[in-house]
Amino acid sequence: MSTDSTKRNITVGVFVLLGIIIFIAGIFVLGGQQKRFTKSIKIIAVFNDVGGLKAGNNVWFSGVKIGTVKRISFYGTAQVEVDMNIEESSQQFIRKDANATISSDGLIGNKIVVITGGTTSHPEVEDGDRLKTVAALSSDQILETLQENNNNLLRVTKDFKELVGNLRKGKGTVGAVLTDSIVADNFKRAMRNLERASDNTVNLTGSVSKFASRLNTPGSLANQLVTDTTVFRSLKRSATRFESAMTSADQSINTLSRTAENVNKASEKLNNTNSPLGVLLTDGETANKLRTTINNLSTGTELLNEDLKAAQNNFLLRGFFKKKAKAEEKARADSLKAVQQQLPDSTASKP
Amino acid sequence: MFLALADVFAFISRFFRELFLPPYEFKEIIRQCYEVGFRSLLLISTTGFITGMVFTNQSRPSLAEFGATSWLPSLIAIAIVRALGPLVTALIAAGKVGSSIGAEIGSMNVTEQIDAMEVSGTNPFKFLVVSRVLATSITIPILTMYTIFVALIGGFLNVNMTEQTSFTSYIQEVFGAISYVDIFASSLKSIVFGFTIGMVGCYKGYNSSKGTEGVGKAANAAVVTSMFLVFIEELLSLQIVSSFR
Repeated sequence: MSTDSTKRNITVGVFVLLGIIIFIAGIFVLGGQQKRFTKSIKIIAVFNDVGGLKAGNNVWFSGVKIGTVKRISFYGTAQVEVDMNIEESSQQFIRKDANATISSDGLIGNKIVVITGGTTSHPEVEDGDRLKTVAALSSDQILETLQENNNNLLRVTKDFKELVGNLRKGKGTVGAVLTDSIVADNFKRAMRNLERASDNTVNLTGSVSKFASRLNTPGSLANQLVTDTTVFRSLKRSATRFESAMTSADQSINTLSRTAENVNKASEKLNNTNSPLGVLLTDGETANKLRTTINNLSTGTELLNEDLKAAQNNFLLRGFFKKKAKAEEKARADSLKAVQQQLPDSTASKP
Repeated sequence: MFLALADVFAFISRFFRELFLPPYEFKEIIRQCYEVGFRSLLLISTTGFITGMVFTNQSRPSLAEFGATSWLPSLIAIAIVRALGPLVTALIAAGKVGSSIGAEIGSMNVTEQIDAMEVSGTNPFKFLVVSRVLATSITIPILTMYTIFVALIGGFLNVNMTEQTSFTSYIQEVFGAISYVDIFASSLKSIVFGFTIGMVGCYKGYNSSKGTEGVGKAANAAVVTSMFLVFIEELLSLQIVSSFR
């Protein structure tokens, strides 16, 4: 009987103990979740509107929960003072110039306080510090913006409706394009041409491809031109020479050009009847006179020859002409002698 | 009606008077704790586990409609800790414990064992009523803790199987949704439920009519009345706790 009683007592004890352990574990996990057992500091923020924030809501910094809202109370005339408990371990990251704003942890989630910003040029927050606040967008403001967007959308759709009506009636350039059959035919033609051009482009691309393949065929002239450096150097030299030849040709052409100019000028002068040569070449009367003069000169020359022959036979001049003939004869004999002397020397020097 | 209410108040006031007056029936209290608490543990744990799983499964489609199945752990935590845990435990206990207390004391009343105890110098009220009411007031909150724990495990299994949520994430979500007010309100509510179940069972048995029929009526009335009162208390507690939140 007493054994049963003891067993029952132990069972009840274990049963109650386990129940109490579950209870205490729940308390501790919840406390840990709410950062109740961690060292914390209090910071304050004063908002114009907290949007339904409650004590116990979370405080986030850089997306991490660092504390909870401790107390919410009215401040001044209509503002709300929010006391927050922040983990001491997070204190070093929050600067005195950080901002606090009311947000929510999802589209329809709980309200939270979000601490943002802060620069390292400012010291870290201390217990009892007051953060600056930034007013968050309320749902009413969002709805107002949405309403404005709706109105704009309505106006846009009205304008679009009007535009489509005008297009259907064929008003305006676009309307005409859409409704005019000639424009449509032109457009079709343009499309056909475009198609043809496209076909040509395809052919051209094929040709280019073939050419490129030939260019890449080893041993071909084109390939050698592209790839063989020796051929390229020869070509370069040839090109240089060709260039210099072209330069010389240019200079020759310039000279010829100048010569032609001079010939032109001379020709102009020859054609000019005021110049002596022009008169000689173009004037018929002058030519007749000149012919007569030449005839007279010929006649005069014959007569003069006769006179000279007569003079040679004259006793006064006969001696002079004999001396002259002797000197000429002598000079001829000397030259013959010199030639005869040179001939044996040249035959003797042959092997 | 007023006479009945006066009788109830007299019964309750006698309980509190006898509670603090020696001698204390510790052995009987422990025995009753064993009978009421430990013997109900399997039934209540199983019920809690099924409740957690079924509630999670039934809640999912509503949340899935607007893509908020990630809120399931929070919803489960709030529902189980605030309402389902204490309520399911109390209802099961009312059915199992309340009826047995009513039937046991009723039969003792019918067979005049209570009178015999008085004659033998034993305080029957202290031995029968105080020990049982204390046992239910102690064990039902503990059973509630078990129920909540097991129901949350059931909910986790369902969420894990469907959404592949990790245990850590689940626990974070569960305890992120509840507060100390919820846990303490749930515990206090369970004490009141336990007290009600024990008190109703004892009252109905203690005041049962003579005859074997009276035993059955006492057991039946104990269950029906305690269940009804549990719901009334649930409603009242909701109003009271809301004012603290």
